[in-house]
Amino acid sequence: MSRQRGSFNIHALVLGVLVLVLTTGVIRWSMLGGGIGSKKTRLAFWNGFTGPDGVVMLKIIEDFNRQNPDVEVAMQRIPWATYYNKLTVAGSDGRGPEIFVVHTDALPRIRRAGFVADISDLYTGKDAIDIKDFDQVVVDQVQFDGHLEGVPLDIHPQGAFLNKQMLKGAGYVDSNGNARAPRDRVEMTDFIEKATREPGGDLKDKQWAFAFTYWGANFRSLMPQFGGRYLDEEGNADLDSEPNLKALEFLAGIAKNKQAPPADNGLGWFGFRTKRVAMVWDGVFMLGDLTRLNDFEYLGAPIPQIGDKPGTLANSHVLCVNKSVSNIEREASGRFLKYLSDHSLEWASAGQVPARKSVRENPEFAKMPVQFAFSKQIPTMMYPPRTPVIFEFMLELDRAVERVVRGQIGPKEALAEANKNAQTVIDRDRREYPTTPNLSEAKP
Amino acid sequence: MNARRKEELVGYLFLVPYLVLFVIFIIVPVLVSAWLSVVQLDLTNASKSAFIGAQNFTDALKDDFFWQATGATGRFALLMVPSVLVLGTAMALGMNRMAQGRDMVRALVYMPSMLNVAATGILWQWFFNNEFGLFNYTIRKAGGTPVPWLTDANMAMPSVVLMSLWWTVGGTSVVVLTALQQIPKMYFEAASLDGATGQHIFFRIMIPLLKPVLLFVFVTTTIASFQMFGQAAILTGGGPTFATRGVVQYMFETAFNGYRFGYGAAISWLLFAAILVFSSIQARVLKSQVEG
Repeated sequence: MSRQRGSFNIHALVLGVLVLVLTTGVIRWSMLGGGIGSKKTRLAFWNGFTGPDGVVMLKIIEDFNRQNPDVEVAMQRIPWATYYNKLTVAGSDGRGPEIFVVHTDALPRIRRAGFVADISDLYTGKDAIDIKDFDQVVVDQVQFDGHLEGVPLDIHPQGAFLNKQMLKGAGYVDSNGNARAPRDRVEMTDFIEKATREPGGDLKDKQWAFAFTYWGANFRSLMPQFGGRYLDEEGNADLDSEPNLKALEFLAGIAKNKQAPPADNGLGWFGFRTKRVAMVWDGVFMLGDLTRLNDFEYLGAPIPQIGDKPGTLANSHVLCVNKSVSNIEREASGRFLKYLSDHSLEWASAGQVPARKSVRENPEFAKMPVQFAFSKQIPTMMYPPRTPVIFEFMLELDRAVERVVRGQIGPKEALAEANKNAQTVIDRDRREYPTTPNLSEAKP
Repeated sequence: MNARRKEELVGYLFLVPYLVLFVIFIIVPVLVSAWLSVVQLDLTNASKSAFIGAQNFTDALKDDFFWQATGATGRFALLMVPSVLVLGTAMALGMNRMAQGRDMVRALVYMPSMLNVAATGILWQWFFNNEFGLFNYTIRKAGGTPVPWLTDANMAMPSVVLMSLWWTVGGTSVVVLTALQQIPKMYFEAASLDGATGQHIFFRIMIPLLKPVLLFVFVTTTIASFQMFGQAAILTGGGPTFATRGVVQYMFETAFNGYRFGYGAAISWLLFAAILVFSSIQARVLKSQVEG
């Protein structure tokens, strides 16, 4: 009796395992796109568009998938905070996505991992993406040793966001009575004086004309205005130069003269969106946050010219292809990149400035007032330095700016220390990886 | 195979699933980390990795940021460990005296410990917010001056400790309460009959009998404090000006943001050494007192 029971159990077990294996196989087969007549090329597309921008991107991808029945692009959104870790680990190990987004400042570092493909061919031949349709400063960001390793999708310069009501209150109106932004140092100083109000002792009752948002980025927006730069021609740190010092001294003056909320107040963007700060400098992508507010009238404008010339910082999302893709995947990837680039006007609605000149010349783009206003800064914008040690480099610079704004150290001393530390990092990287090409930064 | 041997084997078989995972997720990473600590490995240039012996360790000992992070970790541990011990014991004593509702209070007190660090951090970020946070709102209502909880370099670490206390002290108090309830009542009765005051009972009976559990709390809280990461990473990101960036966060940033895996691994081994030394000293000192 017991023998019979044991025999039955073994049969049941074998049958169970068989069913499990078959079921798993069928599920996996169907997930991988198996099936009679199925010839779809599946492409994984990784990015960090986890906000409302991701919804816009998803819509573009759905349209692409509909129009290209032989290709299926699947988007994977990963928060930017951990995005590059995951991308680098997966890419280095041959498990990376076929297509991915990289910021221009991260590109020199990511490409050193060896999985970013040379896609120069996308810019040549029939149906090519016209390289002349991009500004040279943008092309420079994706060009390495004469090869093009990405397609710039957009530009996100830092610009000024302003509260229209407060502008009018301070008398900043044009001939038609519309609110207008301060344009230069004189107007900026005047605006700070007129729009800063302190009716009571309580901080919550104060109205500020200007507030810092991300200190390091605010400083970097002023650097090109004074002719500043990050690296010299040889790729060495050049943070403690006179132009950089002038830019930092201006911000330090605002903090010292209490013309912005105290450093420990943390008003910044929050103060702007709650109508207690009239002007902040931030990236065009912050527009997504403002569009959710119903009763707030704001405008976008170029950052006032504080230095000798206009200028601001910028960055771009670049579309890259994995080196290890097959020929079929490569062709499909190229088609998708071109589609995204061609449809970057739709992408602009997510709070971006298209990288293509022809798209920016489209009358529809002029109907996006903030993006259009920010795009006027393109000829004078400066990208971050092109260095594989970008994380440590920027950490040094941002720390210096923070300490100055907090009044812990003088601008000259802070920049000198940041320069020394940044150079130490660069030297270490050169010592450890002598074959990495020396990249000096792209000029505005 | 005799019955006893069979029983032993079955026991080991029950352990197998855990052992497999333990080897994969603990033993192998520890060995890999030991190897990483003696090589120069940048993830973006993995093919150029090279054996460099103890250089990562000597570099770390000369690294200002490492010492800054060590200082931040030390400050956190100095504030956190005594606070947990004192508050946890005080709460346990309070609950121990309760005649009614103790179980309910114990469950409520323990509840924050069940949250993960991300949920706790986000919650407290709102509490600490300068402008609209609960704490400054209350302070303003009471006519006081708002406190820059997380944005002032001197205030940030105590604020991180405050959140950590709320998060963990409930668990400690429950452990101490359990130990308190294990003390035979006759000790207290005998002491009372002999005319002992509350102070005498606390210092002469309770504390000596609680020493083993307090030693446990002391050592585990010290180890947890040395590993502080999530609280500061979420509340302050390590700022302002790195005032709350501890060793674990620096190690994480070095390895996963800077991609210097070898150097990051060396930092983790230095931290391990520090924890080992401190824990051993604590254990030895307190054990001698318990036994003495």
